[in-house]
Amino acid sequence: MKRGFTILELLISIALISIVLLLLLRVMMSLEVINHDTSYASDDEIGRTEIIKNIEENFLEYHLNGMNIQKKEEKTVITFQMDEVKVLEIASKQLTFDGEVYSLNSKNAKYSTCIVYEYSDLENDYYLVRFTIPVLIDGVNTTSRDDLVFTYVGLKNEFTSYPVSYSC
Amino acid sequence: MKRGFALLETIIVITFVTVSLLLLYGTFTSLIENKEKNILYDDASNIYEMYYLKEYLELNGLDQYFGVGNIIQLSCDDFSFASCSSLFDKVSLEKLYLVSYGLRDYNQENFSSTFNRYYQSLSNNYDYDYLLIGEFFVEDVYHYASIGVNVS
Repeated sequence: MKRGFTILELLISIALISIVLLLLLRVMMSLEVINHDTSYASDDEIGRTEIIKNIEENFLEYHLNGMNIQKKEEKTVITFQMDEVKVLEIASKQLTFDGEVYSLNSKNAKYSTCIVYEYSDLENDYYLVRFTIPVLIDGVNTTSRDDLVFTYVGLKNEFTSYPVSYSC
Repeated sequence: MKRGFALLETIIVITFVTVSLLLLYGTFTSLIENKEKNILYDDASNIYEMYYLKEYLELNGLDQYFGVGNIIQLSCDDFSFASCSSLFDKVSLEKLYLVSYGLRDYNQENFSSTFNRYYQSLSNNYDYDYLLIGEFFVEDVYHYASIGVNVS
């Protein structure tokens, strides 16, 4: 009379299930890492893309030619000198650009009002200007993938006026 | 009286469990690939960086590489302007690839697996002569973005 498993059956079962579980564990771990790194991006991905696109399209359409950055109370205000002057206001929970308000959907996320700004000269009177609005999330180490990064390369003229550097 | 499983019963159960788990594995893998596509490929910031870079490189000799090959890898050594390295550094750009638009067959062994995965995810629904692909290296992760180039 046969009772229960033989040791061979048991070993084969354990080996097979272990292999599959190991594969699953690897996948789950990479999923966890990706999810952790992008907790903001998943909630505000569309909003982030919309803001970047809208502001960059304005730079191109209205020919960005200068910038002024000011700290006003709890906000940072950037005035863009273009064919039309436009203003970007950065508050911890929302951005306002050209009268349009963009709010954060993520519960624990906020914008840093301390922007990172860089300006550098290129050859033939061209310049590169780049600024980043960092996104902070409580309890999460955010990555630059969450931040709002704006770049512009332009040709200098007599009215071009950018701060050489900025620190808040 | 028979007690417990027979080998056949055990194998059937294991097969069933394995197939289910493998299906789950497949689902998770595709989930990760989709997530990667959303996050690492063609980010809005990177696309605009590529746009400005393309415009600037066109002024600085990009056209000399048109017609040189179906897929060529470019770095600052291939351009003579002095601020190239600082420009690449500022936008965290590691490599540039100039690819004939719509190219499907190329020797994948000459390129990194991350590049190959990105390239294969692209659709060819537009009408460009070339595609300028940027490989960005940010926080130990490769990001990619591309922009169409026309030979005018």
